[in-house]
Amino acid sequence: MEFLQYTVRKLVGGIPLIIGVTLISFVLMVYFGPDKTYELLSKNPTAAEIEQVRTQLGYDQPFWVRYGEYLKELATLEFGYSDSTGERVSSILGRTVPVSLLLLAPGFVLGNLLGIVLGLVAAWHRGGWIDKTIMSFAVVGMSISFLVVIIAFQILFGVVLGWFPVRGWNVYGPASYLHYVTVPTLASVFVTLGYNTRFFRAVLVEEMGRDHVRTARAFGAGAVEILWKNVLMNAMIPIVTRVMFSIPLVVISGSLLIESYFGIPGVGKVTYDAITSGDQPILKAVVGLTAVLFVLILIVNDILYKVFDPRVSLGRVSLK
Amino acid sequence: MSLPVQDLNTGADARLGPVRKPPRHSLWGRAIDRFAADRAAIAGLAMVAGFFVIALGAWLGWWGDNWAETGSGQWQPPSAEHWFGTTILGQDIFARALFSTRTAFEIGMIVALVSTVLGALFGALSGYFAHTIVDGVILWLKGVLDSIPFYLFVAAIAFALEGNPWAMHIAMIATFWTTTARLVRGEVIKLKNLEFIEAARAIGLHPLTIIGRHIVPNTFHILLVQATIVFVAAIKSEVILSFLGLGVQDSVSWGLMIAESTTEVTAGRYMNFIVASSFLFALVMGFNLFADGLQDALDPKRSGR
Repeated sequence: MEFLQYTVRKLVGGIPLIIGVTLISFVLMVYFGPDKTYELLSKNPTAAEIEQVRTQLGYDQPFWVRYGEYLKELATLEFGYSDSTGERVSSILGRTVPVSLLLLAPGFVLGNLLGIVLGLVAAWHRGGWIDKTIMSFAVVGMSISFLVVIIAFQILFGVVLGWFPVRGWNVYGPASYLHYVTVPTLASVFVTLGYNTRFFRAVLVEEMGRDHVRTARAFGAGAVEILWKNVLMNAMIPIVTRVMFSIPLVVISGSLLIESYFGIPGVGKVTYDAITSGDQPILKAVVGLTAVLFVLILIVNDILYKVFDPRVSLGRVSLK
Repeated sequence: MSLPVQDLNTGADARLGPVRKPPRHSLWGRAIDRFAADRAAIAGLAMVAGFFVIALGAWLGWWGDNWAETGSGQWQPPSAEHWFGTTILGQDIFARALFSTRTAFEIGMIVALVSTVLGALFGALSGYFAHTIVDGVILWLKGVLDSIPFYLFVAAIAFALEGNPWAMHIAMIATFWTTTARLVRGEVIKLKNLEFIEAARAIGLHPLTIIGRHIVPNTFHILLVQATIVFVAAIKSEVILSFLGLGVQDSVSWGLMIAESTTEVTAGRYMNFIVASSFLFALVMGFNLFADGLQDALDPKRSGR
């Protein structure tokens, strides 16, 4: 019951943020977006025709009414039709989002798991040569651009070695899935691993300096047991926060770059095409939905805090 | 300015006992000593300085001016005239890489400067007036800006500004100031309960005077580190935005070079790609090492140890 109250309070606390992100995407994408009146008119329109089209597009409505319309579109997932293909935006998203999730999930999971493992190893050997080696590689990894990694991996695996396809997405079953997902996964792990390892190491080093870890060491507990029980479990809150917060960043930037470069028909490719061709219905849907999704992730994150740490106060409402 | 903030951080006991004698060095003096002893940081600084000279030369017109010149023949191999060969259009790759250094510094410096100023301002206001309506509004704004995925935000701003070349800068600044503001806010909340701020309040100084004269100067160590981090982030983002067609216009940058090199790569010509990537990597790496060293040197937690 108390937990339910907490959850409801968190959801209510997210409302100002939802209003903020939808307002910004509305102002940028719709209110100040391009005027489509003349695209729908013939060569020499009369004033009455112009007026009619503007009414049809809703341009004559006041700001708040149009914002309300946009909110309704977001709530019902009904964004109209794509400017370039004429397909319904909702069906485009329904078709492409699963592809992107399949494409990015392995890299996201592996990047975080490997980051935690390397972070643990580095933190355990803090100051030693193992730590220094891992952290040097992390800085090098952080310094290489995502774009460069994608192109380099494409050359390496597709052209030089020829092991994997580097264009398209002909996935019919597990075997073809693995075939197509490998190079994108390697690329996104490569790019995120440096940042992840550094972050996780910093968190874990702090946790390792605490008294209870020293006590456990003094009592002769094994390295694995200490790392698992005393360090990792206690560092779960910053780790979970980090993982949750990186979802939009990794998923959005990852899918935009990987899909547009590998020609994979996911939501990133659709967004890339919409950016280059100025396809407003798709852009306003993608921008609005991802921003709202991120706020929901923040709320879920706050609720997860509660799961991992029962000490988190139930009384206070504080998003972030 | 040489006030040893970290020593007053002990809070209550500092107020009770006699004020301890300040250590021989200030925060900054000690930071310089520590930085000078950090070999990786010095190497990073040297790399950044080298690139800065390249950028300066491009500004002053010493080199790189001919980045747009075509007509030297497609895909010339490296020679005395064209150190790294030529592109698909017969442009000198070396000149383009040099001029791109200038572009990178322009973007990095503008974005780092403006977002640091904004971060300091909003962070200080929000920390000084913590838990009031001012703080609430700034926190809300930060939360909103943090919630919109960066690349989509740039796309949305570019869309609203209809291809304005500053869309990229505006979007980066709007996104990057929030982290600085969060760090400054935390520091200011600590600072504002210290004696010297109380004294300033007691003699009736205006809050904005206190913030401008006594609080912001004591967050400079955070601002400096954040500015270097933002600089790196801006350069890295430019590459990806230029590839997406949202970045640099009517000029040349490493991102544009990499984007155009993708067609060359499929034809088996790697020079453009390798040169642009290496320049980018070297500068980002140098800045990362420099920022790390700076962060370690200025970390007040490490003082006296």
